[in-house]
Amino acid sequence: MITAERKPIAEIKEMLAPYRKILVVGCGSCVAECASGGEKEVGLLSSALRMDAKASGKEIEVKEMTLDRQCVYEFIDQLTDVIHRYDIVLSLACGAGVQAVAEVFPKVLIVPALNTTFLGETKEAGLWVENCRGCGDCKLGVFAAVCPVTRCAKGLFNGPCGGSRTERCEVDPDVPCAWQLIVSRLEDMGRLDLLRKVHPPADWSKQQGKGPRKIRREDQRT
Amino acid sequence: MDQKSAGLSITIFFCQQIDPNQDVNRRALERELGKQIRFFPLPCSGRIDPLHLMRALESGADKVYVVTCPEGACRYREGNVRAKKRIAYTQGLIEEIGLERERLELIVTSAGNPVTIDELARELLAREASIGPSPVKGKYA
Repeated sequence: MITAERKPIAEIKEMLAPYRKILVVGCGSCVAECASGGEKEVGLLSSALRMDAKASGKEIEVKEMTLDRQCVYEFIDQLTDVIHRYDIVLSLACGAGVQAVAEVFPKVLIVPALNTTFLGETKEAGLWVENCRGCGDCKLGVFAAVCPVTRCAKGLFNGPCGGSRTERCEVDPDVPCAWQLIVSRLEDMGRLDLLRKVHPPADWSKQQGKGPRKIRREDQRT
Repeated sequence: MDQKSAGLSITIFFCQQIDPNQDVNRRALERELGKQIRFFPLPCSGRIDPLHLMRALESGADKVYVVTCPEGACRYREGNVRAKKRIAYTQGLIEEIGLERERLELIVTSAGNPVTIDELARELLAREASIGPSPVKGKYA
């Protein structure tokens, strides 16, 4: 899941300041799960914006909408009949969603209400943690489904560093040592042999440093 | 000046477990005070959501109370604890738009001193008005 957090309202207001008719668009997927950009958050932010405008004597019109997904054309198309009635679109999607909407409607001004943060999991109610960097060269099969690139503060492929205390990371004691988890899990599975291999530094040029990445699958294309 | 005399519009979300006769009691006060007071009974205060509080303020409430059972006495275990957290979250949100956090207030009833909802509402109305009319009063858009 892609996680995000709402920007401070002052920053959002600054982006919206010159405009009167505002379409606030949420996304019902990842950012709804992490309680930052779903239907409820659209309602909260829209209420706040309307009240703020009223308190400062400014007349604005705020319309609320939430798409199931803001990163897929079939859902974005639901905006086609309404988007041109507004001066600006405030998107509560991740960065991918904001840009997808912008691409479909090139003449419409679209601004983000969220700061997209990381790929993560819902650890417990109200707690989301990063566990994937989207590096494009997944080695979870070797590291017992614990990503050392993301979850080890030092990103070590050949750990542990030796600095952990009571199974916690020395950089942040709130975080379990990723290498402790890797070794424990491999031990439980009887696969400590996987650690005999020395892993060379990641070849980031495989995916990174070449501009935006793409996945193309002919079987999925029309 | 007390809140009633100041003409403040009061909205009260409350856990209906606190007063078995809440339906009759709140309606009597609603008839007496008209639009100055609005009650929203909840099966448990844990049902309250920041969106309810924002919509109440946007609809013209000057002050919004959320009334819960005493901590540790929630019929559904921790609904009142959740209500407390959601009020705190919403207070942060309204502060961002320049509204006083005091416009939202948690009232935890006392286990040793049960009150009916109309008695409690009268007590709240009799409190000193520490805030004025809301600057965002107006019809919900």
